[in-house]
Amino acid sequence: MTSALPTATPAAPSYWTASRRVFELSLGEMLWSRRTIFMALVVGGPVILAIVFRLVEWFGLPALRVNGVRVEGAAIFGVMIWMLFVRFIVPVLGVFYGTALMADEVEDKTITYLFTRPIPRGAVLLGKYLAYLACTILVVLPSVMLVYFAVVPFGQIPATFGQLVADLGILAAGLAVYGALFAFIGAWLKRPVLVGLVFAFGWEPVVVALPGYLKQFTVAYYLQALVPHTMPSDGAMSVLQSFFQQAPPLWVSLAWLTGYLVVFLVLAARIVERKEYVLEQ
Amino acid sequence: MTKKTRYFLLVSGAILAVGLTTGLVASFVGLPVTVFSSAAGPAELEYIPDTAVVVAYADVRDVMHSEFRQRIRRFEPEGRERDEFLEKTGLDIERDIDTVVAAMMPRAVDATGRRNDAALVLARGRFDVVRLEGLAREHGGQVEDYEGVRLIRHAEGGEGRSEIALGFIEPGLVAIGTHTAVRQSIDTRRNGRNVIGNTEMMRLVADLGTNNAWAVGRFDAIADRADLPGEMLSQMPAITWFSAAGHVNGGLSGLLKAEARDEASAQNMRDMLRGFVAMARMQASNRPEMQTMVDSLQLGGEGRTVAMSFTLPTEVFEALGAIAGARREGQEPR
Repeated sequence: MTSALPTATPAAPSYWTASRRVFELSLGEMLWSRRTIFMALVVGGPVILAIVFRLVEWFGLPALRVNGVRVEGAAIFGVMIWMLFVRFIVPVLGVFYGTALMADEVEDKTITYLFTRPIPRGAVLLGKYLAYLACTILVVLPSVMLVYFAVVPFGQIPATFGQLVADLGILAAGLAVYGALFAFIGAWLKRPVLVGLVFAFGWEPVVVALPGYLKQFTVAYYLQALVPHTMPSDGAMSVLQSFFQQAPPLWVSLAWLTGYLVVFLVLAARIVERKEYVLEQ
Repeated sequence: MTKKTRYFLLVSGAILAVGLTTGLVASFVGLPVTVFSSAAGPAELEYIPDTAVVVAYADVRDVMHSEFRQRIRRFEPEGRERDEFLEKTGLDIERDIDTVVAAMMPRAVDATGRRNDAALVLARGRFDVVRLEGLAREHGGQVEDYEGVRLIRHAEGGEGRSEIALGFIEPGLVAIGTHTAVRQSIDTRRNGRNVIGNTEMMRLVADLGTNNAWAVGRFDAIADRADLPGEMLSQMPAITWFSAAGHVNGGLSGLLKAEARDEASAQNMRDMLRGFVAMARMQASNRPEMQTMVDSLQLGGEGRTVAMSFTLPTEVFEALGAIAGARREGQEPR
C-alpha cells in the first residue's frame, strides 16, 4: 500500500498580495508607534492655531490685521497651507517616516523575519510605503479639513472649496513623492534622517529661491507650482523666490512629480532587493 | 488590522467625507449661512432679497448713545423740524429707533420703458402704529393687505408715478420703500431667497465685524444710479465691490474697502491713494487740527483689495466744531 505524499508546496503570494499583507501589518505598527506622538504634535499645531483664530473671531475681534486691515479667513488658510503644510509638515513627515521604512526594521533587528518569508523583498518596501502613505494622508488631510472649516467663514466656502480640494490633492501628492524619495534615501544610506533633513530644509529652500536649472532637482519647485494660493512674503527666501519664480506649467509639474515618485520607488525597491543588511549584534 | 486602527481609519475617513460633502453641497446646491454658524449681520437681512446690490446697516441706538455723539451734540443746530416730526409721528429717532437696515435692488424697467429704483429701509424700534397709519391716511395713503401684512401705499406725484409703501411686517419692524420693494421683502421672508444666500455680499458683511454702521455693495450699481458720464466711468478703476464701515464710540473709526477686477487695477488704485494721502499729509503739516486725522489714514489691502482706514478722536470734531462756531460768530451782523 502506498500513500501519496503531498509534493506541491503552497504557491508564493503575488507581488501585490505580499505588498497588501505587509501594508496591513505595518499600518497598525506605524500608527501606534512613538513617532505618532511627533506626528500628532506637528499636525495638531495648525488645528489648535485655527481653533484659537475661530475663538478670537467669535468674540468679534479681528485675529490678524495687516496695516490696519483685517486679514480674511481664506487668506489665513492660504498662508497656513504654504507655510505650515507645504513647506514644513509634508517634508518633515516624509523625512521621518520615509527614511524609517526599512531603517526601523534594521534597527529593531526584525528585518530577518520579513526577508525569510516567501515574498519578494521589493514587496516589503512597497507595502511599508503604502502604509506610510495611508498613515500620513489619513492624519494630514483631516487636519487640513478641520483647519479649513475653523478658519474660513461658511459663506466663503463656495468660493474657496475648489482651492481646498486642490490643496488636499497637492498635499497627498507631496506626501507620496517625498515619501518615495526618502524611502530611497532610507534604503540606500546609513544616516538617512540627517541627509533627508539637509535635503528638505537646506538644499530645497536655497535652490528653489535661486535662478538657474538646479531647482529642477527638487520636489518643492514642482509642488509649490501647484499651490493655488498666493505665496506669502514671509522672509528673504520668499522674496527671492517670488523674484526668480518661473512656475512650470501644471502638466510639467505633474509629470515631474509622477516621474520622481516612480523612479525613487523603483530605485528603493531595487536597493532593498539587492542590499545585504548586516544587523549589528 | 486591530480594532484601534480600524477606529482611527473610520474617524479620519469620516472627517474627510463630511468635510468634502459639506463643501460640495455648499458649492453646488448652496446652503444658507445660518446652517452652521450664525449669519453675519442683523436678522433683518432675511427680508432683503438676494438680488440686492447694496446693503447698509446702522445701529442707531448705539450711535445715538455713544460718547462721540454726546460730545458733538452741542454743535448741532436747533431742530424745529425734528420737533414737528416728533409731534406728528410720535417717533423720537434718538430713543425709538434701534437699528436701520437699507437695501437697493437693481433698477427695473416698467412697461413705459422707465427705469424704476427699488429701495427698501427696515427700521426696528418702537412705533405708534395707529398714529403713523392715521398720518399716512391724512396725506392720501391707501391701506391694503398683502400676504397678511398691512401696507400703506402712497403714489408720489399722483397715480401711475412711483409708489411709496410702508408696512408693519413684524411687531417692532417697519419696512419703508418703493411699493414693489416692500412687497418683495415680504415675499423674501416667506420663500427664503434672501441676501444671506448671496455669498459674495455676505463675505463682505462678515468682514465688517462689530462696526455699528456699514454699507456693502456692487460698485456698478452705485455708478449706474449716479448717472456718471461714460467718459468718467471709463476713467475709473475697475471696482467690482465696495464696503464702508464705521465704528462710533469715543471717536469715529472707519474702513473703506474696494475690490478691483484685477490686481493691476488694485495696484493703480493703491498708487493713486498713496499719492492722495501724501498730498494730504503735506497740506496738513501746518494745520494741527487736521494733523491727527491725516496721520490716522492707513492704506492697506493686497491682491485685488484696496483698503483705507482712519481713526478720528472726538477732539478733532471738537476742534472743527470750534472753528465752525468761530466763523459763524464772525459772519453774524453787528
